[in-house]
Amino acid sequence: MEVNIENTGNKTLVVLNGRLDTTTADKFMQDITPLMQGDNPDIEMDCTGLEYTSSQGLRMFLVLQKSVTARKGNLVLKNMKPNVKEVFDITGFSNIIKIV
Amino acid sequence: MKKLFNPIKDKSGEIIEYLMSSPDMPTDEDLRFKLRLSIEETVENIVQYAYKDSIGWMEVETNLDDKALVLTVTLKDAGKPFNPLEIPDPDITSSVEERKIGGLGIYLCKQLMDEVTYRYENGCNILTMKKNIAKQ
Repeated sequence: MEVNIENTGNKTLVVLNGRLDTTTADKFMQDITPLMQGDNPDIEMDCTGLEYTSSQGLRMFLVLQKSVTARKGNLVLKNMKPNVKEVFDITGFSNIIKIV
Repeated sequence: MKKLFNPIKDKSGEIIEYLMSSPDMPTDEDLRFKLRLSIEETVENIVQYAYKDSIGWMEVETNLDDKALVLTVTLKDAGKPFNPLEIPDPDITSSVEERKIGGLGIYLCKQLMDEVTYRYENGCNILTMKKNIAKQ
């Protein structure tokens, strides 16, 4: 699982590549730690390369969304594959995380 | 196809790959995604919680019915009696602040499979998942 983070002015662009499961979730959490800091974060995640997520991965997205909401910021997930989107839909995560 | 894994400590990846490589598994990518997710959630649950320190065994099996329409995946362990189907479903309508972190795995499995059943028999937990693989 690869996480590339790029800060461009006010916006943070994140590109995800790979599979988010039990074996990669801890590393993913470490990788997204920089996104847990700062006021009014504006984060855009490109999920084109996100092949898979298990419940373990969903938990990480929830932790991030809670952190962003508490700091009055925005998190947007873009270009999600239909299979992955379905996992977010089934679990109601589509209602609490903005997916476009 | 059937295999006994003993001990199961740190073996969840190997167990998942064994099941996914079964000739009973469909080739359709969408179905495989749903099956892998359901298998991962349930296998991980057993590996992490069934036995103290994950020292114990798990027997896994795949079967196709005569018409090759319904795939059955069975997971068996001799850990403490535990019915994962009794885990309350998460409240999927709650707000981000109220949303709880747990209970998602088995819920996903129940949603993605056509039938998930549990029984406790001769000192073993037996979890059975069925999926119609001809549907799509």
